[in-house]
Amino acid sequence: MEKLKRLAINEEGFIFDPVSGNSFTTNRVGLWILQKLKEGKTPEEIISELPGYFEVDAETAERDVTDFLEQLRHYKLI
Amino acid sequence: MSEEIVVAVSGINAVDNPGPGLGVIRSLKEDSSLKIKAIGLAYDAMEPGIYLDWLVDKSFIMPYPSSSEEDYLARLFYIKDVTGLQVVIPTLDAELPLFIKGEQELKSKGIETFLPTWEQFELRSKQRLIEMAPRLGLSVPPTEQVSSYSDLLKALDRIGFPAMVKGLFYKAYRVHTFAEAEGAFYKIVEEWGYPVLVQKVIQGEELNVVGVGDGEGGSLGMMAIKKLWITSLGKIWTGVTIKHEVLLESSQKFLRETGWRGAFELECIATDDRIYLIEINPRFPAWLYFATGAGINLPARLVKKVLGQPVETHSEYEAGRLYIRYTYDLVTDMDVFQKIVTRGET
Repeated sequence: MEKLKRLAINEEGFIFDPVSGNSFTTNRVGLWILQKLKEGKTPEEIISELPGYFEVDAETAERDVTDFLEQLRHYKLI
Repeated sequence: MSEEIVVAVSGINAVDNPGPGLGVIRSLKEDSSLKIKAIGLAYDAMEPGIYLDWLVDKSFIMPYPSSSEEDYLARLFYIKDVTGLQVVIPTLDAELPLFIKGEQELKSKGIETFLPTWEQFELRSKQRLIEMAPRLGLSVPPTEQVSSYSDLLKALDRIGFPAMVKGLFYKAYRVHTFAEAEGAFYKIVEEWGYPVLVQKVIQGEELNVVGVGDGEGGSLGMMAIKKLWITSLGKIWTGVTIKHEVLLESSQKFLRETGWRGAFELECIATDDRIYLIEINPRFPAWLYFATGAGINLPARLVKKVLGQPVETHSEYEAGRLYIRYTYDLVTDMDVFQKIVTRGET
């Protein structure tokens, strides 16, 4: 999660990596997941907490979080 | 404010492949502790800088540095007589050998430069890069030196496509087929002779560092960027400042190892686990005003160093500063054009 800590993330979902110079955008849910990751939460914890913050069932939460983590890996952000 | 300092700068050709000169002059003029009279050294009456009178105070047409060293220096001495020229900042590759060789003669006439030594200048050769990169903690893409067409084909078999076909000092073509490689090979041979280098293309982030070495292993400041958008000629159009500690540390090592004096640009490609050194340019890049805008005025520091004035040397800047190049239109009358064409100066 070292890479994640260095990211500059604004409240509108704009993400800037000061080492690579790359920038990304994400939606409200992505922003929330990033915040939880930065707080040190595990994917399992995030999946279980997500339905409490957004109107999704457990199955959708698991799929969304898994997909989002995969995207972060793809962009080498985690 | 101090006394007026007369500084001549070349590369005032702000065209689609822009020279660094106007960025250098703009930086010098923005330092409030310096009072700069900027002299533009041009090779063509149509170089835009000649007409930008808010930046360039007076311009001179120069003979080509490749034509006659004697004529070139004589022209500089004439400019010295007319303007009181104190410092020259050459910014074009083709000028550097002449200025480096002529350093002492220029100095004896009261014209200062702050350039790499001849030995440092030679480091930009691709062969020397291969030797030096590991000492800086950097890698160099797999490279083969070829001196015949059949060697080229064998090297391409080993390296594969896409590949870069490069001259020892200048020119580089990205090639995807044997036919493209053949074309690039003969263009380089015709212009620059043998050997030709064949290099593997590394996929990664293109990162650059601009800075000035103090000539004693230290830095007068440096800044790293990522090019975000480049033109069809490969020139930066937008970019962003980055804080890549490994790259900046390698740049410091480069200065320590070489005792580099003067401006430099390091062109690198970063992958997940390595940074590849692609080129060392022994001059300011055309985008150097980016550093000035981000708080590190390298041309002003260089001039102060040359003149023995106190110099800031910090490299503090924010990551995430954005650089946007843009075009502009100027309409003027024929006066300046007539002067530069008929008299060779404005």
